[in-house]
Amino acid sequence: MLMSFPLSFSDISFWLAATALILLITSELLYSMPEISGRFIIDKTRFRLVAIGCGLGFLVTVAIRLFQPF
Amino acid sequence: MKTKRRVDGVASNKISILFLISGILALVFSIYSISQILALIGLGLTFWGALFLLLKPLKLVEGSLLYNSAISAYLTTDRIIDEFKYKGKGHYISPYPEDVYLPEYLKGLKASVVFISKKNDNEMPSIDEIAKGKFLSKNKEGVLVTPPGSGILTQIEEKLKVDFTKMSLNELCEVLPIFIMQNLNLAKEVELKLNGDQVQLKMFDPLYKNLYSLRNNLKSVSVLGCPIASAVACTLAKTSGRTVTIQKHQASPAGSMIDVWYRIAQG
Repeated sequence: MLMSFPLSFSDISFWLAATALILLITSELLYSMPEISGRFIIDKTRFRLVAIGCGLGFLVTVAIRLFQPF
Repeated sequence: MKTKRRVDGVASNKISILFLISGILALVFSIYSISQILALIGLGLTFWGALFLLLKPLKLVEGSLLYNSAISAYLTTDRIIDEFKYKGKGHYISPYPEDVYLPEYLKGLKASVVFISKKNDNEMPSIDEIAKGKFLSKNKEGVLVTPPGSGILTQIEEKLKVDFTKMSLNELCEVLPIFIMQNLNLAKEVELKLNGDQVQLKMFDPLYKNLYSLRNNLKSVSVLGCPIASAVACTLAKTSGRTVTIQKHQASPAGSMIDVWYRIAQG
């Protein structure tokens, strides 16, 4: 029996888009409301970098699908 | 007897490892069972587990600890001021830029120093005295001390990755308050206004507000400013390339609003 990863390329692209959206919105909220974000003890810069990384990852998948549609 | 252990971040580490393990297991089982749902759950759990590990909580200390550790330096400065009967002001001397070449014996000119003068019209210490890192100036006309905000200044420079000597004063007045508020969380709100050779710093609910309280009655705070006001003075001196003097300060009775006025020396 040949085992394969059950998620297709478009599934991963969709997952990246959803994750990037959540992370980017959260990161933006953390930066725009310092009085609230001060209560969260996380590295905001690193969080933003991860969010941007996810967003870029999604854009890369879009670019791959544009140039290799099949 | 049980010893006390630090528990900072232990819970978040456990959660992230739990997420990671269950995520990886879900991914492996999704391949076996060819289940898309399980794969998506596994992907999410693995990702968030890794993210929680990456975003470890920062080491935090209580704000009052910062104030309590700073007060000893101010009490020492107060003793110096009382001992020499100084009535002057704190003059923040502009340091040389880091990238400028200076011979070994003049390297001391690159450090931020503040000159506490005996009288208001005292002449400034000589370059030789600053370069040698002297404490007492000629004829005991004042003392040269390291500003209480020099540590904050170093932190700002490291995090912002900027050279303040290459920045204009207008730019500084925009960048610095935002950084003090959002990145360092040293005050709820900070405003820095430039008006000719006068600069006004307005702080709302700063961490060091207790230093300004009448209970302490610290002379050194009005001369040097609190660590935030001192860091701003150091930055102003560095950016303008001139000596900056703290003219006066005004604190609201509860200490929630503090105004500090600086004067940038001309010429």
